[in-house]
Amino acid sequence: MKQTIYLAAINEALREELRRDEKVFVIGENVQQGTFGTTSGLVQEFGKDRIMDTSLAETAVAGAAIGAAMSGYRPVADMMFADFLYIAGDEILLKAGKWHFVHAGKVNVPVVVMAAMGGGMKIGAEHSMCPEALAMHSPGLKLAVPSTPYDAKGLLKTAIRDDNPVVFFYNKGLLGLPGEIPEEEYLIPFGKADIKREGSDVTVVAISRMVHLSLEVAEKLKNEISVEVVDPRTLEPLDIDTIIASVQKTGRCVIVDEDNKRCGVTAEIFAQIVENGFDYLDAPIQRVAAADTPIAAGFLEKHVLPQPEDIEKAIRKVME
Amino acid sequence: MKLGKEDLISLYRKMVRARKMDELTIRGLQEGKVLSFYHSNQGSEALSVGGAAVLKKTDYLWAHHRGHGIGALIGKGLDPKGFIAEHYGKVTGSCKGISGFHMAEPEDGILGAGGTIGYQFPLALGNGLAAKKAGKQQVVLACFGDGGSNRGTLHEAMNLASVWKLPIVWVCDNNGMAQYTPIKDTYPKEDIADLAAGYNMPGIVVDGLDIMAVYEAVYEAVERARKGDGPTLIEAKTARYRSHSEGSPDVSHTQTRSQEEIAELKKRDPVESFKEKLLNQGILTEEMVAAINREAEEEAAAAEKFGVESPPPDPSVIDNLVYR
Ligand SMILES: Cc1ncc(C[n+]2csc(CCOP(=O)(O)OP(=O)(O)O)c2C)c(N)n1
Repeated sequence: MKQTIYLAAINEALREELRRDEKVFVIGENVQQGTFGTTSGLVQEFGKDRIMDTSLAETAVAGAAIGAAMSGYRPVADMMFADFLYIAGDEILLKAGKWHFVHAGKVNVPVVVMAAMGGGMKIGAEHSMCPEALAMHSPGLKLAVPSTPYDAKGLLKTAIRDDNPVVFFYNKGLLGLPGEIPEEEYLIPFGKADIKREGSDVTVVAISRMVHLSLEVAEKLKNEISVEVVDPRTLEPLDIDTIIASVQKTGRCVIVDEDNKRCGVTAEIFAQIVENGFDYLDAPIQRVAAADTPIAAGFLEKHVLPQPEDIEKAIRKVME
Repeated sequence: MKLGKEDLISLYRKMVRARKMDELTIRGLQEGKVLSFYHSNQGSEALSVGGAAVLKKTDYLWAHHRGHGIGALIGKGLDPKGFIAEHYGKVTGSCKGISGFHMAEPEDGILGAGGTIGYQFPLALGNGLAAKKAGKQQVVLACFGDGGSNRGTLHEAMNLASVWKLPIVWVCDNNGMAQYTPIKDTYPKEDIADLAAGYNMPGIVVDGLDIMAVYEAVYEAVERARKGDGPTLIEAKTARYRSHSEGSPDVSHTQTRSQEEIAELKKRDPVESFKEKLLNQGILTEEMVAAINREAEEEAAAAEKFGVESPPPDPSVIDNLVYR
């Protein structure tokens, strides 16, 4: 194993896949320098034709990647902030997502759309979102939301090799997160949740940065409550079986995510647990998610986005 | 259009104030008072101040994102206190600390600001449509950058604005860069103003470091729009003296911009060169320059004090705010 950090793991996944398959290329605004460091340093090895700086035009970035994917390439489109996916909604949601289906399987779109999501920088409503539900709601798209360097690298490599369009949301709040990854190559399959901490009293299903907040709370409560933290890692496909198995063991569940509560990922996971594991529950499921408002900036951000105290409160509530 | 002596002094004063506010915001970020981020306006004051200064209170203004609109706010005659307090996250900010760095002053024709570059084109189209329907001779000044000119929303909005002959003046701040990407690599021609021909409107290139040239070009276009003769596209060649945002690398793709290159750009600093011009013409004296500087510094100090002493918003400010 070797030490790395989250953004470097993403960078390494890109580098390895660019080396492995000449059909892979990276396209986006300022990707040669890299706004968040995830694509930095690649142009020096792969050149400007494979690490392409574009104009400021998200529709064109996503569209060019999707069109090239339909024409035999395996592009990775970097959308910078996840909030900017909305600008290319037609291309990503209505074309990449739907076209394999509506054209009877004759058309493939092996594209990766990656973007940085998440709050913590206090930069407000249009630069802090976790629009996971947008992708999860749209049939045809896969969705990866890694929480560790290990997961980020393994999932991104799988995403690039997948013949379907994949949205890969990495988290701005985790860029510098340290962690270990194997020296040798590895892949992580989609649809396999990871138990980040074992416990017996309550299951906390947590996504992306919320995994770390939940682990922090689990550690704090360890002498009182034994918390199991389950990280789905991909939301489509969603490993509901692992979640249900955990709930069967603990009988209690809290779901934590940074997207909006209403129609957010927590709502979907909640529904699937109730549909598949209602009898295992000893208490109503609690959800911790962003308030159903736009994300306020500055001092107010913390009143909109989920905080460790909210997670602790929810855990105590299900334990009542 | 002939600018009188007082007008010229007023423009100079506004440019100095905009520069001081920009410096204050940069310092605020370094000192942790500014909570979000900042994209300095230095090098672009002649355009941001001069363009907005043409407008009447009832005209609409979409400020360019650089300086988070500080030059345009001051140009249009607004008090910058709310700008500073917003950046400090305080309840006395333009948006009570909720937006963090976007101003909204609807009474003064500033209907907000968005985080997605190029968002303003279609909204400006709607303001122009409303202005035409209302028949009150209002004009829309829609500002954007060279990077913003790459957005597809530009086409949709400019097209209809021309078809409908709306009172919109499109103003492009071409500083040659969009974050780390030079415009020469994202646009196939020299002048963005050339786009105008496709929409059958005048396209004008102006020296964006010369506030008098900017003012005159915008004035002409605004008059034309007010008369009902339709939109104009003005491209001002400006400069960006600092990195894209404070703390980010100052690179073109991956190449660091050289000190010489920046020094070269600064030779025609819009604030300094206008001062020289007015001194040479005897419109300003050294004493007046010193007084204007002092006043601008006092204003910045007062804004800083106001920002520091204002309380942060109570979390309840966002309760029941999603809907009217
Ligand atoms: C839709 C969108 N894409 C990308 C960004 C990130 N971004 C903010 S400013 C900027 C560069 C804008 O360049 P330009 O329009 O030339 O204005 P300048 O900053 O040079 O004044 C970029 C890429 C954004 N905020 N919105």
